[in-house]
Amino acid sequence: MRNIFIIAKNTLKLEIRDKILYGIIVFGLLYIFFMLFLADLVLKEPAMVKAFGLTGIYFFNAIIALFLGTTSFFKDVDRKVVYFILSKPVSRAQFLLGKFFGLCMVLLLTSAILGVAYVGVVLFEHAGFDWIGLVAILMQFLEMALFLAFAIFVSTFSSSLLSIVYTSGVFFLGHIVSQLVADAKAIGLGGFKLLFVEILYYIFPNLEKFDARDLAIHAVATPWTSFGLAVAYAAVYITLLLTAAVWVFDKKEI
Amino acid sequence: MVDFSHLTKAYKKKVVVDDFTLSVDVPIFGFLGQNGAGKTTIMKMIVGLLEPTSGTITIDGALSSHPIFKKKLGYMPETPYFYERMTGMEFLRFCDELFDNNNSGANPAARTKHYEDILKKVGIFGARNAEIRTYSKGMRQRLGFAQALVNDPEYLFLDEPLDGLDPIGRREMKEVMLTLKHEGRKIFLNTHILADVEEICEEVGIVHKGKLLYAGSVKAFCAGKPLEERFMEVVEAHERAEIGAAQTAHETPTAAK
Repeated sequence: MRNIFIIAKNTLKLEIRDKILYGIIVFGLLYIFFMLFLADLVLKEPAMVKAFGLTGIYFFNAIIALFLGTTSFFKDVDRKVVYFILSKPVSRAQFLLGKFFGLCMVLLLTSAILGVAYVGVVLFEHAGFDWIGLVAILMQFLEMALFLAFAIFVSTFSSSLLSIVYTSGVFFLGHIVSQLVADAKAIGLGGFKLLFVEILYYIFPNLEKFDARDLAIHAVATPWTSFGLAVAYAAVYITLLLTAAVWVFDKKEI
Repeated sequence: MVDFSHLTKAYKKKVVVDDFTLSVDVPIFGFLGQNGAGKTTIMKMIVGLLEPTSGTITIDGALSSHPIFKKKLGYMPETPYFYERMTGMEFLRFCDELFDNNNSGANPAARTKHYEDILKKVGIFGARNAEIRTYSKGMRQRLGFAQALVNDPEYLFLDEPLDGLDPIGRREMKEVMLTLKHEGRKIFLNTHILADVEEICEEVGIVHKGKLLYAGSVKAFCAGKPLEERFMEVVEAHERAEIGAAQTAHETPTAAK
């Protein structure tokens, strides 16, 4: 545990010095502050302001997760910085988990920065303290953590560029797969085609479970059962992905 | 004492270290060989970065890849890469924190002094607070050496430690190695620079195409000739023997017909 914490702390320290990350955060903040002008355009309609803000936070965090997940771990291995670390009393599993938790801390930090800006702007627009929106941001963070775990898993066996392609593909499929199954059943699809869609459903993560934005926009609190289910779903999926990543990384010749 | 017993490493069908057996018990031992001879692979197996395909490496009777042994070793990889946005001092602290017996939490001032002493020893104390991305190749090489010393190791494994250093830097690093030897540490180094071996190593291992061609004292190996000349003789004799063996193997089935 100690080594995981040290590597996570170091990862956080290094990533927050990255100018690319700063750039993304600055654009994220500009986007959220743009809500102030948007509010006038939509006649101070709170739902529109919240929709604009929460979608912005989601979009910028997704970029950060994709950027960090596909480069940070891969670079350490590819540039052989791991030689220093793994020749010390550190296992490959500790290194990989340390990187994952470090990157999660970066995402938590960016979510917090953008979340505070969002709450501030919503307050400024006299729409009250949007704690429901904060829950939606927390659920978005869970989705991004899962996204990170997948990106790290892919990075254990492919290049940075391919990881971006695979991870983006999973991100896309993860959002449509539940709808695909529902549509397939609705139009009476059967046989091999339905089986194929159902296999996709069970292989790819169902990222729609983390989408609480629609409820938050209309000031409807996310039911605790949905929140609990999302936490459990993320925990199980992340555990499976990281276990697979450790297994592959353990066998990799570095 | 470091023992290699029938150590073999193969990538699919390509054997890069071939049935390597050797015992070493001298203060400074040098693996000498051409680029691609298998020296780095051997060193990576010693420090647990690679798993041998077969065979074992034991140090003082314990397997070298065991976590307990890792606390006693320092390793400097060939052409070291770092976290570019860290300073030299931060990098040493990070490396030190990975050893759980360093007491860095209990006495941070003493540890900071320890890092400063190491950086002074390797000659980059002045650049301790500069980001590593600003370091020259020679400074990176020195930092790679420095991090290998952070846990006061009993055994040091240095892969091409003098590469990229200017003549003054090479002289300084050799002096550091000799100081470490006098402190009772055992040093293994990989090099393809014969003059370094002749100057600082008690014993050498000549490695060629993954095979150990000679192991023993430098003086006995040279037998009055320059090291370079003897090295070429041994390598060429091995090449001739390999060609001869291949020809015999090729002709034998024909003769049987």
